[in-house]
Amino acid sequence: MTSVIRAELARLLRRRTLVAIAAGSLLFSVIATLSVFSSAQASGPRSRRGGTTLAALTDAGGGTEAFAVGASFVGFLVFVTFIALVATEFSGGTYRALLLRQPHRVRLIVGKLAGALLVAAAAIGLAEVCTLTVSVLVAPTRDVATAGWFSLAGVGAAARDYATVFAGVAGWAIFGTALAVVFRSAPLALGVGFAWAGPFENIIVDSWDAGFRVFPGQVLGSLIRGGSAELGIGRAAFTALVYTGVAAVGTLLLVSRRDVTA
Amino acid sequence: MTKTTASSAPALSVTGLTKRYGARTVVDDFDMELPAGVVAGFVGPNGAGKTTTMAMLLGLVRPTAGAGHVLGSSIDDPAAYLDRVGALIETPAFYPALSGAENLRMFATVGRYDATPIPALLDTVGLAGRGGDRYRDYSLGMKQRLGIAAALLGDPELLILDEPANGLDPEGVREMRSLVGDLAGTGRTVLVSSHDLSEVEQVCDWLVLIDTGRSLYQGPARDLLGGPAHGLVVVAQRPEDHLALFDLLTARGDDVAPEHGRLVVKVNGSDVGDLAATVNRAAFDAGIVLTELSPQRTTLEDHYLSMVHGGAR
Repeated sequence: MTSVIRAELARLLRRRTLVAIAAGSLLFSVIATLSVFSSAQASGPRSRRGGTTLAALTDAGGGTEAFAVGASFVGFLVFVTFIALVATEFSGGTYRALLLRQPHRVRLIVGKLAGALLVAAAAIGLAEVCTLTVSVLVAPTRDVATAGWFSLAGVGAAARDYATVFAGVAGWAIFGTALAVVFRSAPLALGVGFAWAGPFENIIVDSWDAGFRVFPGQVLGSLIRGGSAELGIGRAAFTALVYTGVAAVGTLLLVSRRDVTA
Repeated sequence: MTKTTASSAPALSVTGLTKRYGARTVVDDFDMELPAGVVAGFVGPNGAGKTTTMAMLLGLVRPTAGAGHVLGSSIDDPAAYLDRVGALIETPAFYPALSGAENLRMFATVGRYDATPIPALLDTVGLAGRGGDRYRDYSLGMKQRLGIAAALLGDPELLILDEPANGLDPEGVREMRSLVGDLAGTGRTVLVSSHDLSEVEQVCDWLVLIDTGRSLYQGPARDLLGGPAHGLVVVAQRPEDHLALFDLLTARGDDVAPEHGRLVVKVNGSDVGDLAATVNRAAFDAGIVLTELSPQRTTLEDHYLSMVHGGAR
């Protein structure tokens, strides 16, 4: 499987991709930080729907608060990116061609996912560092103290934010891969993914609060955020683990048993 | 081009291979055995089951029934032999944003092959100067050749090529025929499916004919194509002598039939050389000059059409 990971890294880590990741991380950090700091209320609960509070920004974890909040809204982007990446492998025939070189189907699909997630992990790290830097620059405009951000507790909070964001991104990646494997067609998989994680979930949760605790997209959003008023981090992590576990097992069963005809 | 070096152990063999999709049977109780070292042409009409059979040999499609071995290992365990098999199945598939050489390096990495020979492979398939170009900028012929280069990674013992000349223009078809011919001279076993019967006839020393998923013929090409001449083609220099020549030969008791502006005399068990000599002498005595006097043998196309359509054409 390491050979598949190395090949995937070689494919993804090209100059154009690296520039796009760097630019995307910077853009994300600026937008997320400005949005979070400008919308921060004096107090109130942390909601999946709402922003954060000035008190939370002043806490030890305030330095990466914008990163966590912002990341909860880009999960959908990760979702469609993985759908497109994997489904294109099926519809373009590269999956079939690679199977002739790596006949262990599970190793191939897991290796490709792992390679892409390694790139995602680096991008997440870069985005967190960028967001922290922009936050330091923006903090004085809202009279937010930054001393606690660089304490031991601050570093711990940053690590926790990184872990939850990565876990959530990995969850979106697994869902995206599952959808791509089921449909094996980028337009079809993207259409279903857009419809589900876009309008469907968000329209339903507008009138059904329990949807925040049930729908996969909402659960992953809460996980990335480090928990919300509607769904605590523990339950979010557990529910996400169950959902992604089921999706992963189903995907691997499908991959290993289905004929490759495209 | 004929280079049969068949050894005792077959390169691949399948018995009773069957693939059904619901009620539709694509490959039906198919048997095939390829001696090592042959260049085998896999011939059949569209939908005959060629690609599905190849996909089963390559572990992409699971057989509904049947068994088989490739390079000594069961087709139930493709991982045991695929590192010694190179294949191009259906259309070539590569990453459009990567160059030809980068694509080959990626495939070499996945298969744990040495990437050192990649420049030589690109040279072999005629892409030496274009290896750095993006795949998306390649012509169809270049894509097919890159597919052959990818199949050659790891110096495989067995090559399985699914219609490598498909979609190419006449020049591309000729180049591909030449390339497959070159591969045939390297001693490896090659199984190549094709619609170009003249290509198969020229390049292959072993034939496998398939229709509706069933085997029609398999064996040495010479057994099918190398039979004695069944006719003698006779053409008079002057068109106005055509009828006189027909009457002359008919009067001699020959079985003659006009065919596309020429006459074909059936050999009927006699020696074609002796027949040609007597026909030539009779025409000369009658003052008729002949411009063609050649034996007529059954071509692969004749056999193919006869077997596939039951002689309907």
